[in-house]
Parts: sequence; structure tokens; C-alpha cells
Amino acid sequence: MNILKTTLSNIKSNKQLFFASVGTITTALSILGLFLFVYINLNSVLSFWNDQVQLIVYLDDEISSDEKKQLEKLFSSSSEVDSFRFVSREQAWEKFQLMFSEKSSFLKGMGFNPLPASYNLKIKPLPERLKSIQSLAEKLSQEGGVESVEYGEEWINRFETFMILMRVFLLALGALLCLGAVLIIANTVKLSVLSRKNEIELMLLTGATPGFIKFPFFLEGIFHGILGALISLSLMKGVHLYLVSRFQGSIETFGRGMDFQFIPMSFVMVIMLTSLLMGWLGSYLSLQQFLGAYKKL
Amino acid sequence: MIQLYNVYKSYNNTPALVDISFIIKKGAFVFVTGPSGAGKSTLLKLLYRWESYDKGQVLVNGINVGKLNFSKLWQLRRHIGVVFQDYKLLPGKTILENVAFALEIVGAEKKTIRYKAWEALKNVGLSHRKDAYPMELSGGEQQRVAIARALVNNPKILLADEPTGNLDPDMASEILHLFEKANADGTTVVFATHSQNVLREGNHAVIALKRGKIADTRIVA
Repeated sequence: MNILKTTLSNIKSNKQLFFASVGTITTALSILGLFLFVYINLNSVLSFWNDQVQLIVYLDDEISSDEKKQLEKLFSSSSEVDSFRFVSREQAWEKFQLMFSEKSSFLKGMGFNPLPASYNLKIKPLPERLKSIQSLAEKLSQEGGVESVEYGEEWINRFETFMILMRVFLLALGALLCLGAVLIIANTVKLSVLSRKNEIELMLLTGATPGFIKFPFFLEGIFHGILGALISLSLMKGVHLYLVSRFQGSIETFGRGMDFQFIPMSFVMVIMLTSLLMGWLGSYLSLQQFLGAYKKL
Repeated sequence: MIQLYNVYKSYNNTPALVDISFIIKKGAFVFVTGPSGAGKSTLLKLLYRWESYDKGQVLVNGINVGKLNFSKLWQLRRHIGVVFQDYKLLPGKTILENVAFALEIVGAEKKTIRYKAWEALKNVGLSHRKDAYPMELSGGEQQRVAIARALVNNPKILLADEPTGNLDPDMASEILHLFEKANADGTTVVFATHSQNVLREGNHAVIALKRGKIADTRIVA
């Protein structure tokens, strides 16, 4: 209780500095959090699209029924294929018209159906999904009656590379911002320590244990970190809620079931814990420096 | 209670204490005297280990002071009360709080803190001013608060570094009597002063320092 009282009085006597420091930490964590937010949502888009990956086998218009049967047999025997569906030229045309109903007069004016028939293959969620799709696609494109085989491979590959880069960027940015935050906390706590120099000396003289002296300052540093984290997480939640209310409708046109993800609970815990550690480390550094002078005497 | 054996201390190769040896027995009252720069303050600082020494051995209440590391210093300092020339009172606290602070530091039981602090103030004749702030008191009164604070934890040893340095002779004599009272209650007192008046009035054992060396001793009890 006494420790808490001392901590609060430390903060009170350095109010402006405390809030400046908390504000800076909030800003740093918010920047990091927003990037994390973007990353998590892009990642969820990736996994959403990954789940949607289909292999589309476009057929020659002159495909024979034997060749069709041969293909279907191949699909059934492939371990990668979960299910397959035949889409005739007419069905494809109907769907196409439905999707672009605004342009229907133009489409009707075309007078012929340019679309080929196809097989849509749903691929099982295997661990090496992309690779197995790739090899299956190669095998199928050799088959008779197959015009071409399509899947979003390149696009997904590029997206994955981008995500790896983003991860590296996030880690580097995170490390840099954390370092900055630690230094800011260290400086603020240092000023707090210096403003209590006489009191600390008196404590040392009277026989206070090092823990008794250090604890309020540790707590002060931890307050900085936790408060900064809480404010920035609240800000991020606000941004999340805004995005959901404003853009949820439009995002659903990209894919059914997609939504804006908030930073998962485990990340929230990591952010809180990191802030706590940053606060502790900041205080530790400034106390080591301050008390170090008395150790040398 | 306090034993020094061939103690040397220097600051940047300038000797501050040279070959100091003496023994102060439990319950003694000893003056440490000498001109400014003779090493009085340094000697006291060695006793509560505010400064380290280069050579020799210092034993205080059976503790080998030189062997204590920083995290254990409190074990030594809880046996010692220190009074300074500039009082070192915290200006933002009332005098009762100033005295209570020393009790809080050593983790005294919360219920007893106020009473003990008040009693300590009463012993120096200031209980009626317990809610005053240090700046509202005269120098002599502030020094009495500092003495109350030094004594509130019942230390075995009371060290005073020129406690009367800023006070007029009447006040100095009053302060000296407070130390003598503490000594009568069993506290070992080491009192550093350069004032001949105080020395004469006190009539206790004396260690006289000159340029860091013991120049003279008078019945070290």
C-alpha cells in the first residue's frame, strides 16, 4: 500500500512528464498495432483465399465423352481432389450473365457463347496444398480434351512473399519502437528518481532495503508501459469498430464470411506483457545508473 | 562497539585518513574534532559505510564494514542513527511525517508508527509542533527533529556530523544535551565538531584529527 502511495506521489509530482511519456509510448504502440492490424487482416484474406483455391480445368469444345470419362476417373482417383463439379458451357454463360447483369444488353447482343465448359475441382486442405495443386495441374494439362488448367498460383505465391516481408518489417519496427519506448521510460523514471534524490539518500542512510527503494520506481515504469498499452489497444479497438461499421458491407463482396479481424487475444496479451517488461526495464536501467553511483562510494 | 585498525582512505591520491586506529566501547560518548578538512566527516562516513576505505579494517557492532556489499548495507545502517549539520529534513513532509518516514523505511508496524514518531518528537520537546513543516522551524528546532528521526528506531550508535555547526552557542548546548540524554539511555555517540565550546561543555573523550591523522586522544572510554 505504501509502495503504491509512493509510486502515485512520484507520478503526481512529475505529472506532465508522466503523461508525455505515456503519450509517446501510446503512439509507438499504436503505430505498431496498426501495422499488426493490417498484417493480421491481410493474413486472414490470404488464408481465406487459400481455402477458396480451386483448380479449374477448361475443356476443349470438341472434347469427346470418352475423354470426359477418363478425366472424371482421374479426378476420383486423385488423392488431392476433394470433389469436382462439371460446369457446361451454358451454365458458365448463365452464371457469367448473372454476374454482369448490368451489362446484359451488351452480353445479349453478342449472340454467341464464348465460354468453354469446365471442371471445378475442390482441393483437399493438405499441408503442401500449393505444391500438390501445381503437380496435379501439370498432370491434367497433358490430358486429352483439356484446353488449359488455371489456379491462382502466382498470385498466391506473390502474396505469401509479401506477407513474409511484412512480418520481417513488423518485427524490425516492433524492436525499434520497443527500444525507443524503453529509453523514454528510462528517462522519465530517471527524472522521477532525481527529483527524489534527497529522499532516496535518506532511505539509504536509514537502512532501507534496495527493494524498498526500487519497488515504487519499478511500479512507476510498469504503469507507463501498461497505461500506454491500454490506451493504444483501446484506440486500435476504436479503429477496428469504425472499419467494421463503415466497410463491413463492402468487404463481404470480396468473399462471403470475410470480416475485419481484431488483434487476437494472444497478441493482446503479448503486447501487454511486452509493455510491462518495457516499463520494468526502463526503470531498471535508470535505477541501476542512479544507485550505481552509491555502490561505488 | 566501533573498532578501527590501520584505516587508510584517499580521494584521487590525496590522503584523507592515514593509519587510523581506535576502539570505542559500547555506551561511550566520543567527540571527533579537528579543523576543517581534517577528516572528521570522512571518518564518520566510513562508519556507516557511505564511503569505502582503501586499507585497514572497520568493525561496527560486530559487522566487518568493508566486507558488506551494497545490497546488505541496510543491515549495518539500521543500527546507526545519523545527524547532519544541514539536518536533511524533507521539506514536503510535516515534522511528524519526517520522523515517521524513518520508521516506515525499516518496516515498522503501521499502527505504532504515529505514536512512536510523536514520542520521539516529545523527547526533543517538539511534539506540540508536530504538524509544522521544517521551513517553519528555527535551525535549532530542525536539528531537534533530525535528532528525533535519528533516534526513533532506537539505534545502538548515534553519529553526528557537526550537528551544532549552524547553531548559536545556546542552541548548540541544548542540542548537545539531547545527545547526552540519548547516551545516558545507552546509545553510543560519536559527535564530530570543531567547536571548542561544545568540547569544553561536553567533557567527553576526544579523538582529535589533523590532516587525516590522529593528532591527540583524550581518555577514549
